[in-house]
Amino acid sequence: MEIGPIWRAMMRNKTGAILIALQIAVTMAIMVNAISIMQEKDRMMSRPSGLDEHNLFSIASVGFAKDFNERVTIEEDLAALRAMPGIVNAIQSNAVPLSGSGWSMGLQTEPGAEIDGTGVGLYFVDEHGLDTYGVNLLAGENFSASDVAWRERAATEWPDKTIITRAMAEAMFPDDWASALGKTVYIADTQPITITGIVEKMQGSWPGWDGFERVMLVPTHTLFGATVYLIRTEPGMRDSVMPQVEELLADRNKDRIVRSMRSMDEIRERSYRSESSMIKILTFTIVLLIAITSLGIVGLASFSVNRRTRQIGTRRALGASKLVILRYFMTENFIISLGGVLLGAALTVGLNILMIETFSLTRITWYLVPVAMLLLLAVGQIAVFGPARRASSVPPAVATRTV
Amino acid sequence: MLSMQNISMVYRADLVETHALREFSLEVKEGEFVSVTGPSGSGKTTFLNIAGLLEQFTDGRYELDGRDVSALTDSECSAVRNEKIGFVFQSFNLIPDLNLFDNVDVPLRYRGFNSAERKRRIEKVLETVGLASRMKHLPSQLSGGQQQRVAIARALAGEPRFLLADEPTGNLDSQMALSVMELISEINRSGTTIIMVTHDPVLAEMASRNVHILDGRVSNGDQETTAEPLLSQVATA
Ligand SMILES: Nc1ncnc2c1ncn2[C@@H]1O[C@H](COP(=O)(O)OP(=O)(O)O)[C@@H](O)[C@H]1O
Ligand SMILES: [Mg+2]
Repeated sequence: MEIGPIWRAMMRNKTGAILIALQIAVTMAIMVNAISIMQEKDRMMSRPSGLDEHNLFSIASVGFAKDFNERVTIEEDLAALRAMPGIVNAIQSNAVPLSGSGWSMGLQTEPGAEIDGTGVGLYFVDEHGLDTYGVNLLAGENFSASDVAWRERAATEWPDKTIITRAMAEAMFPDDWASALGKTVYIADTQPITITGIVEKMQGSWPGWDGFERVMLVPTHTLFGATVYLIRTEPGMRDSVMPQVEELLADRNKDRIVRSMRSMDEIRERSYRSESSMIKILTFTIVLLIAITSLGIVGLASFSVNRRTRQIGTRRALGASKLVILRYFMTENFIISLGGVLLGAALTVGLNILMIETFSLTRITWYLVPVAMLLLLAVGQIAVFGPARRASSVPPAVATRTV
Repeated sequence: MLSMQNISMVYRADLVETHALREFSLEVKEGEFVSVTGPSGSGKTTFLNIAGLLEQFTDGRYELDGRDVSALTDSECSAVRNEKIGFVFQSFNLIPDLNLFDNVDVPLRYRGFNSAERKRRIEKVLETVGLASRMKHLPSQLSGGQQQRVAIARALAGEPRFLLADEPTGNLDSQMALSVMELISEINRSGTTIIMVTHDPVLAEMASRNVHILDGRVSNGDQETTAEPLLSQVATA
């Protein structure tokens, strides 16, 4: 290989090479950090919810008439829904997981207003809750019908049982999460509540909250005027059941309106909308940067092939084969790109440190750096191939013909 | 060692056909110094390009060292040029971004010599042309005559059997031209076969034989020249 002379010749015309190397370095730094952000968003989005998501949907019911009997409406709605073909189970609740709205409370192992509780997302459900969500009960038992109380909006009393997620149990009893079962903890500072069950996994209402996986269920029907039904269908039946349910609820009782019917998939999609658009924008940015860098490489290489046409002819006359000429330009690009990606590696880490400090981003996974280096080296070789081939087809007669 | 029989070369553009060589025949024996003269456009460079395997000819037969050249592939031609032929061009064709050492090194690297061997040869040929002390200089730091000497050194470094020169003194003033000519004659005396194109009849006389081309054909039937007396004439002039 003629790396020595290629390098020395390049050092006589370094401006273009340095600019391209810098462009490669900046592309790499932005690319790797963008990929790192995308990975973080992707990890966030791909956390399992524990729910039977594809077969779940929710629909809101809001009473408006003066003589609207909410309790009877709920009881009749649930009976009708649970009897409907294609529906596995249904509950009435205060909120839907992942939806962005819900309740949170604090639970504490000792009573007292001065103690900080562990934050937890809260859902009011009845004994059909676990089956409707499709969550997996690890320990303890489900609520029974007799556990379920009716609660007005202004009420301050809490039932004496709760089922919590394993993540909540781990947060409260870090040494042994399983020991949470049967423990009495305190809600609203002083009211005792016994943990009668632990479910494997469930998610709360706010994906961005660090207590997202800490959830408690309490056996309660709410009488808040507005409510939401969460409905689980047989696999594959959701889309056909949804319009039937909307019609059924609207027809059954004219004293309320039904609205906001959404599948769990749609709720998830809406909930992570900013994350997924961020991923799209970053992907677009990366593609654009790589395209611009490739064009820069093609431009520089074409310029230098044109500038050196006579020299190429001379080299061919002196015995260089086409392959040798091709290799010359590929090697030249490799040297420039290698400089670019080495600088890029340093720049990537620097940018990452800056992003960690200013945007509390996570550290890039180490392998992204070598992978990006290889990728950009490959991009360089592909981009330079066209101009290099053109160089290799410069005829040797150019040596004597051009003046 | 070089034998051309009825070589013709036709350049075809859209509508125009240019017959650069017509039924061109020539024999050059080992150790000869042949000058090629002729008016501009008569086909001198075309002949040299074909002789040096820089261009494929249209018709005829060309044997170099007893080998039929038309059968060679492009990369075989490259190898033959690299090993057997040294080129000297009118405008020197040094690589402007490389110093003298690296310039002379170019064909040696294609040859695949190791670095010690290359270094030995480069130093030796630069010594021969009197520029060993300027090894690290760039071509732009030299006069035209010096640049052409470097180009000759580059052509000689691989110890070719043939030296092909196209108007090697065309861009030089007469003083420099003369010293370059002396160098070329000396190379010939040490055994290298030389074919040199020139439009200068005085320089042509320094060769052992002159071939005059007119309109793509040999026109003077290979005249012997009176090289020695003329060379000394010019040298004392
Ligand atoms: N690549 C080419 N395409 C078309 N015509 C060419 C080409 N090269 C040379 N010619 C023509 O061939 C003829 C001989 O050219 P050349 O060998 O360069 O002459 P000389 O070197 O004697 O001046 C000229 O008429 C020239 O215009
Ligand atoms: Mg010519």
